[in-house]
Amino acid sequence: MATLEIKNLHARVAEDDGEQILRGVDLEVKSGEIHALMGPNGSGKSTTSKIIAGHPAYEVTDGEILLHLEDGDFGDVDIPEDARTWNLLDLEPNERAALGIFLGFQYPAEIEGVTMTNFLRTALNAKIDEREELLFGEDEDAEEEEAGYDTSPMEGNVDDGEVGVAEFQKLLKEKMDLLDMDEKFAMRYLNAGFSGGEKKQNEVLQAAILEPSIAVLDEIDSGLDIDRLQDVSKGINALRDEQGTGVLQITHYQRILEYVEPDHVHIMLDGKVVKSGDASLAHELEDKGYDWVREEVYEAA
Amino acid sequence: MSAQLPANLSAETVREISDARDEPEWLLEARLEALEALDTLELPDVIQTPGRRWTNLEALDFESLVDPLNQADETTREAPDDVVVLPFTEAFDEYGDIIEERFGSVTDPETNYFTALSVALFTTGTFIYVPEGVNAEDVKIRAEMNSRSLFSHTLVVTEKSSSVTILEGVESGDADVDGERYFSNLVEIDAGENSYVQYGSLQNLDEDTYTYSLKRGDAGTYSTINWIEGNLGSRLTRSDVETELNGDASETKIVGAFFGHNDQHVDVNARVWHKAENTTADLVTRGVLDDHARSVYEGVQDVGRDAWSTNSYQRENTLMLSDESEADASPKLIINNHDTEASHAATVGQVDKEDLFYMVSRSIPEEQARNMLVEGFFVPVLEEIEVDEFREDLEALIAARLH
Repeated sequence: MATLEIKNLHARVAEDDGEQILRGVDLEVKSGEIHALMGPNGSGKSTTSKIIAGHPAYEVTDGEILLHLEDGDFGDVDIPEDARTWNLLDLEPNERAALGIFLGFQYPAEIEGVTMTNFLRTALNAKIDEREELLFGEDEDAEEEEAGYDTSPMEGNVDDGEVGVAEFQKLLKEKMDLLDMDEKFAMRYLNAGFSGGEKKQNEVLQAAILEPSIAVLDEIDSGLDIDRLQDVSKGINALRDEQGTGVLQITHYQRILEYVEPDHVHIMLDGKVVKSGDASLAHELEDKGYDWVREEVYEAA
Repeated sequence: MSAQLPANLSAETVREISDARDEPEWLLEARLEALEALDTLELPDVIQTPGRRWTNLEALDFESLVDPLNQADETTREAPDDVVVLPFTEAFDEYGDIIEERFGSVTDPETNYFTALSVALFTTGTFIYVPEGVNAEDVKIRAEMNSRSLFSHTLVVTEKSSSVTILEGVESGDADVDGERYFSNLVEIDAGENSYVQYGSLQNLDEDTYTYSLKRGDAGTYSTINWIEGNLGSRLTRSDVETELNGDASETKIVGAFFGHNDQHVDVNARVWHKAENTTADLVTRGVLDDHARSVYEGVQDVGRDAWSTNSYQRENTLMLSDESEADASPKLIINNHDTEASHAATVGQVDKEDLFYMVSRSIPEEQARNMLVEGFFVPVLEEIEVDEFREDLEALIAARLH
């Protein structure tokens, strides 16, 4: 079972006089749990998600983000004793992803000229390769060299990676069926010309393919009509039920929580998690609004 | 300002070239006229921005670059049986009249100093003739340059309701030539009524070579001329691709791709003249620059007074992979007929950081993600290419440059 542990996280925008956004976030998400992270605009929810994934626009000024792994997190891969706890802040974004962190974007990039199939198979193979390297330190030298300019990091992955073309097609079809996605998406360019709902479905599809330990989903419910919301919710529940993924779901609205019932609900205000509870907290919030939380928190303090 | 005539250039030289090729008298005369015109002709215009002339053609030292009597190339030509694809020297007997009538009819040899020099001195190139009603796919011409200088002239004539797709590849051969080299390439297309031509050109000469290329098409009624222009080689490339839409309902696409690295300089130009009714043009250029490479682009859509019901679109995008690369783009739209739907746009930028982060967050290492984005950037050009071998070659050259 994997655990994502965020401790006293402080962060600011990575530029001169960059605004301080996170002021001591504490949060713990385990495999198989569903957490909802709620809060008003500007409270730091999205920033938290981006920092977990390693977005370069933010600078962490204090605190840490740990990922604890156990045998079973990567199927039958035995995880060495000394590779069971990672400080994500020491890792590149692609390395974090390789260890099972997934960020579902609020605004997924539209990338012309790169097909979904090519992108996802490349990602899956890159994930497997990178994870091997991180866990077992294989090919340290080779990795150094691959990062260089003249060598060919693509060939190994694209042409003959761990997961071959036929095997991948099968996997993709299976996951697309599950999400009720049309097969034609596979040959389309990544998110290019997708509707808002299709993009969000595609984020969940990518999580289903990459099988993360912890998926952080940033407003996956925004811009979805009710049918699409149900498809996406079904996909999120499947991540948890079938892959044991831990989900940190960032949302403004109670609506999606009707379909994806959270085990825990957290409320952020001004760069901190100020209140946590079970699913009933979301209902209470729906009734009373953020001002209620604000009053309660600041009066107590 | 015109360049100086190299000392080794004389009417005698031109006669010697023409004699060796056993050419008809009219062609010798055309060469001699072009030679004579050199005294007064100017170099082609280049883009200027305040304080800067982007492409310094005056600096070319023709004295040492041009070696007219020692031109050498190895050119292979593959074509289906029902289309004529021959070196001029083998085509004069049977197609002399057509060649005489059309040679120089699309591109005036006296367009500028380079074109005149090229007509006076060319020793290689191809005559392509597509008879009425013939559909010919995958004409492939591959030229290897094996000398200090090489001048090439290609003439494509398509008769009524014919079609042809052509790939022209230009590379440096193994010949042992030290120092700088000069390659000149003129291509003329005379597209007859309701005919279709796709002319794809892939230039990958070594980086000691200076390349001048002018490709020009005359599109007749209901005809289509589509150009695909790929430039990866040469130290300096000056490439002009132009179509005159002279026939009603004629169409053209000018699609370009370039990828400069090291100290390469790429000066690409796409121009279209709408001169008849219901004509359509689409100009699409995509370029990538790495290291200290520089590019300058000029695109011109000229809608004439009689060009009623015109559609004309132009897009140019340059992607810079290094802080040291430089690019300038100048899309121009000249409209003299109000019955026109037109757009023109150019962008110069770097790899989008959010796109990159999106891919990296899915486990793809940054370098690999960047390369996928660059390869994807060229896809709109690759998708236009109809000769599979050309698409594969261009893809391979792009991939090789990235890794």
